[in-house]
Amino acid sequence: MKTNFSSIRELWNRLDKVLFFIPLVLLCCGLLSIYSQCALIDQSILQFGILSRQIIWSLVGLIFYFFIVLFDYKVIYRYTTVLYAILMVMLLLLLVIDYATKGASRWFNLGFMRFQPSEFGKIVWAFVIAFMCSNFPPKRFYDIGITLAVAGATILPILLQPDLGSTLVYVVMLLAVFVVACIPWKYIWGLVGIALGSFPLLWPFLKEYQKLRILVFINPSLDPRGAGYNVIQSRIAVGSGGFFGKGFMQGTQGKLHFLPEPHTDFIFSVFSEEFGFVGSSMVILLYVTLMMRILQIAEKTQDEKARYVCIAIVACLWFAVTESVAMTVGLAPVTGIPLPLFSYGGSSILVTFMMLGIVQSIGIAANEGEN
Amino acid sequence: MIFDNNSNKNFLVTKRIQLVRVVILALSFVLLSALAYYQIFFRSRYVILARKNRLRSIRMEAPRGSIYDHNGNPLALNVIMFDIKCYPNILLQDDNMKRIAEALTRCGIVTTEKILDEKLRKQYTTPYSAITVAKNLTFAHVAEIISDENINSLVFPTRSWKRTYPSGKYTVHVVGYVGEISDKELEKRQGTNYHGGDTVGKNGIEYVYEDDLFGEPGEELIEVDAKGRKVKDVVYNEPVKGDDIFLTIDLEAQKYAAELLGDFRGAVVVMDVRDGSILVLYSSPSYDPNSLTWGITHEDWLAMSDHRERPMMNRAISGAYPPASTFKAIMGSALLEKNVANMYSQVYCSGYYELGGTKFRCWRHSGHGTENIFRALSDSCDVYFYTLAHRAGINALTDVAEKFGVGKKTGIDLTSESSGTLPTPKWKKHRLKVGWYGGDTVNFSIGQGYVLMTPLQVLRAYAAIANGGKLVTPYIRQGKVKTAKALGISHLTLETIKKGLYAVTHGGTGTRASAFGVDVSGKTGTAQNSQGADHAWFVGFAPSGQPKYAAVVIAEAGEHGSSVCGPIVGKILSYLITGKKH
Repeated sequence: MKTNFSSIRELWNRLDKVLFFIPLVLLCCGLLSIYSQCALIDQSILQFGILSRQIIWSLVGLIFYFFIVLFDYKVIYRYTTVLYAILMVMLLLLLVIDYATKGASRWFNLGFMRFQPSEFGKIVWAFVIAFMCSNFPPKRFYDIGITLAVAGATILPILLQPDLGSTLVYVVMLLAVFVVACIPWKYIWGLVGIALGSFPLLWPFLKEYQKLRILVFINPSLDPRGAGYNVIQSRIAVGSGGFFGKGFMQGTQGKLHFLPEPHTDFIFSVFSEEFGFVGSSMVILLYVTLMMRILQIAEKTQDEKARYVCIAIVACLWFAVTESVAMTVGLAPVTGIPLPLFSYGGSSILVTFMMLGIVQSIGIAANEGEN
Repeated sequence: MIFDNNSNKNFLVTKRIQLVRVVILALSFVLLSALAYYQIFFRSRYVILARKNRLRSIRMEAPRGSIYDHNGNPLALNVIMFDIKCYPNILLQDDNMKRIAEALTRCGIVTTEKILDEKLRKQYTTPYSAITVAKNLTFAHVAEIISDENINSLVFPTRSWKRTYPSGKYTVHVVGYVGEISDKELEKRQGTNYHGGDTVGKNGIEYVYEDDLFGEPGEELIEVDAKGRKVKDVVYNEPVKGDDIFLTIDLEAQKYAAELLGDFRGAVVVMDVRDGSILVLYSSPSYDPNSLTWGITHEDWLAMSDHRERPMMNRAISGAYPPASTFKAIMGSALLEKNVANMYSQVYCSGYYELGGTKFRCWRHSGHGTENIFRALSDSCDVYFYTLAHRAGINALTDVAEKFGVGKKTGIDLTSESSGTLPTPKWKKHRLKVGWYGGDTVNFSIGQGYVLMTPLQVLRAYAAIANGGKLVTPYIRQGKVKTAKALGISHLTLETIKKGLYAVTHGGTGTRASAFGVDVSGKTGTAQNSQGADHAWFVGFAPSGQPKYAAVVIAEAGEHGSSVCGPIVGKILSYLITGKKH
């Protein structure tokens, strides 16, 4: 296959450095937290295993990142339909398996990793939204209806898993693209109204633990050992970090297991305890800078579909970051959404790097158009 | 114009992206403010909390709901006992595990490090959530442990509940028993209130209605000082007792049934034919579940579950036996229903029936002479059924047998119910890889050969005859009554069979069943047993005119249904109707 670059040097020169280095810095912060976390867990738990696996997945992620940059994001347009079909088959298959085994799982166990369709589906979903909104501009009721029908079919199997976190991510991605695709405001308010209004209808479909998490968010003393305990402990971790933090490897909250899932759900608490307000605000600013950069690319590109893809990716990142951080201080209910580039987990790292690779590729193409 | 339109559109897009930008910045500002709030303005408060993070949590299991019989007699209750608990962080320190194991063993609670390790693995959530290291202790034990200076600073006692079964072996096959939750059960209940080390129903009503009985565990969140002593309660949630359950079982009748069955292996089941509620369900030999709730050793468990007489098997619903002559009521219905015979049809019994050169003998080798359906039931004449069944063909017979629920679970609210076997040509081909012979039909017609039924299935079929054609779903928990299915057999057929069953106990083979003050209709049965003496059956209902209750008794190796089981059915039905014991 022919690539768009004659040499590595050319690739390097045309690469958007901000879009490349910020994720690497964030990744390193995440690795530090995971290291700090795992170094002190009992010897029985594979302390090196978690860190090294995270590093391996990051490298795999980077390979995918450059693979996408080399071969141009437009290739994905051609396969959107196929990818979407595969996604839907896998989501439905999960439901069927769950129904047959009376279980509830979000992933297929592939041995070396747990493959979570809804996670990889976020990339496909970004392209599907872009495709829909560029072919059926959300101006008229009819066109919006078509896109909503597709969205419903995609999101329903995820909701039924039930994976509330991913469901919200998918919805936010769609709403963001609608906004940028210049949907009339009256429809946006209508959609937001429907989303809020339908929540009571969803309530009976939620699993007990999910209901509990939401109730605990409203009243943390409801379940002081479970979800409520987690929020209290996480807040202690963040708060006790103070302005400068306790220093690398000096945090006690995560280390002493007061924090549950310290290397996945509550990774930001661990980081925040050790690096304080200075560290956490720096991380948030890095995420904001990254998102601003992606929005800039969205503005610059002449490819309407690519613009929507960028917006969907920004929405996806934004929601995950905001939810993960807000959760650690009890501003949002606990969901299992990983903090991109930070949380331990192969799928999340891989998907985030692929998304950033797509944006990078869009950026390079946009610059080319400008020249 | 086109250019204008485009730039206008681009302008709008830029505006919208600008909006997204503003929203992201604004919400990020909120996040930063929240972090500042906790990390700058309230830092000192959280630093103190973290330094003194001495929250400990103790989970308190809820008392299970009690189980009562129909008259309010207790079948399962809780008694107060003590547990010894310990925090995992303490357990993992130094050689505490060894010290605790040794000290507990000294106090008479045999424990090894390995056992503690296993308990830790099962119950662990966080280092500061207490786990139970010893369960169901008496006050004397606790007194000894807390005065043992080796470990009294490491462990602490809490109140707990132990399940006890006042009616012991009489109701164990109904009530079941509880035990510690297994890893598999815990996995199944992930995301619920359950936790390693919890007590759950393993069998019977305790298992089926686990969700209602379990209750809601409580939680004590305490703050301790540097030495681990409690400073104050942070949160205290009282456990909520599970729901009490009332059964349709009559304990007195249940005990009476056990007494009547004596040393026989077998089962007694009594049902209210009007709605399917079970008044008696006793399987013999039985066992006392109280020893199980104390926690028995693996060896004792094996001795019990592998015992030759299999006391743990609930013969009433898991035992699949040839229904033998009790099956003739169902076959009689099939012959009438499929118009192979009517109430006047006669067959001459010479003592045997010949098919393809093989002689199928009647139990009475000298023969019964001329028989119609009434006499065939009352004498339990095999030849009558051989002859007509072969004429009807197997498909007609199985069709009606299926309507009576043969080969299907009754759906009673108990565990490990067997479905028995309804053999069909297809079943035989699939299962034994050979075709169906005429001889199979002949054997089938008298409830021998491949057909197997549980005592409860036999009882339900007779209840359907007694109540005028409703196939009920048997149930044990009060209020769990389900709408009965219509049997799909004509009224005339059922009335004819009923008359035949009346004749059985009025001058026929089962006369002894009616000798105890109530008028019983029923049927005897003697099931051939290749491994020893024949199994004896009797199933009947009373009062014959307006049936209320039906009862079935099977006595393994009881030889003859009429002499052993008939009187038991008569006595138990009489007790339930008149209140008198004979």
